[in-house]
Amino acid sequence: MKTPFSLAELEAYLDEALPAEAMARIEDAMRKSPELAQRLVAINGRRDAGVHSLGEIWRRHRLTCPARAELGSYLLGVLPEEHAGYIGFHLDTIGCRRCQANLVDLKSQQAEAAEAVASRRRKYFESSAGYLSRREGRT
Amino acid sequence: MPPTSESDALLIQRIRAGEAEAWNELIARFEGRLLAFVETRLRRRAASEDVVQETFIGFLTSLPNYDVARPLESYLFSIAAHKLTDHLRREGRRPTLPLASGASSQDEWDLPGSVRPASSIARSGERRHLEETALAAALSTLLGTWRERAEWEKIECAELLFVRGLANKDVAAGLSISEQAVANYKFDFLSRLRATVRQQGLPEDVFPELYEEA
Repeated sequence: MKTPFSLAELEAYLDEALPAEAMARIEDAMRKSPELAQRLVAINGRRDAGVHSLGEIWRRHRLTCPARAELGSYLLGVLPEEHAGYIGFHLDTIGCRRCQANLVDLKSQQAEAAEAVASRRRKYFESSAGYLSRREGRT
Repeated sequence: MPPTSESDALLIQRIRAGEAEAWNELIARFEGRLLAFVETRLRRRAASEDVVQETFIGFLTSLPNYDVARPLESYLFSIAAHKLTDHLRREGRRPTLPLASGASSQDEWDLPGSVRPASSIARSGERRHLEETALAAALSTLLGTWRERAEWEKIECAELLFVRGLANKDVAAGLSISEQAVANYKFDFLSRLRATVRQQGLPEDVFPELYEEA
């Protein structure tokens, strides 16, 4: 069965970089099509052989991801129209997951209850700080 | 995306010195965006928080290998992506590829410019990293020029072609421009990158897209 996904999309899938719905579509298709799994294996093989792709380099270096401050300005609606239009394109048409996550975070900072955030941060700190002190002990 | 900021570099320096307050600060600065990133895929808050927790532990254990020249946020996102992939595999939602390298995420984020384990790299990792860095710099310069001139259409065109992998006709339809305009932008874009490859004496065969027909 021929699969409709482009090489760039499959590379982004391997890097966990597609929008969630597109990731799920590929996983669903992979279960039905052994050919798709073979294409993904072949992409890993190309990478192992040292072949670069522009999309991979572009994503890894986040060449067109706006800075967080720019996303903040985008949310406030204070960017020039064309610049804001590009950020909307990057978020919605390209579907950059990392920038979408930043935007959700910026929005939720205004909305989420302070106590819930503090409790979550305490949990992360308490579960990981032991690794920090172990490092300190070694140095 | 700008490189590591001075404040991030300073924060890392304090964490390396074992300062608990600095570690707390890093968590406060990044946990919200990491949680949002993971939660879009898992759709469950508790499981997403577990993955973020693993991400922070992964960050501390890999800290000796972290190069501060690499943007901190991108580094944390790459760890989160690997932890998320592992979680989805454990849940059976993400199929494991047969005989694929990279079946486990263990320490893969330690490899700059590569996500493949060292044993499976056919060419020198260092050489590959240099090639990638050179091309990324050329891309960054080109995109920076277009950004300064507010030539957003050119950026959108190149991003649809090379990041999304769309065909010329689909890009033309998406941007409401002619296929000829897309072909012209693509030709210009690839010509400039090919010039970089030539000038820097990089091997042409590792960048096959640069030599495809416009």
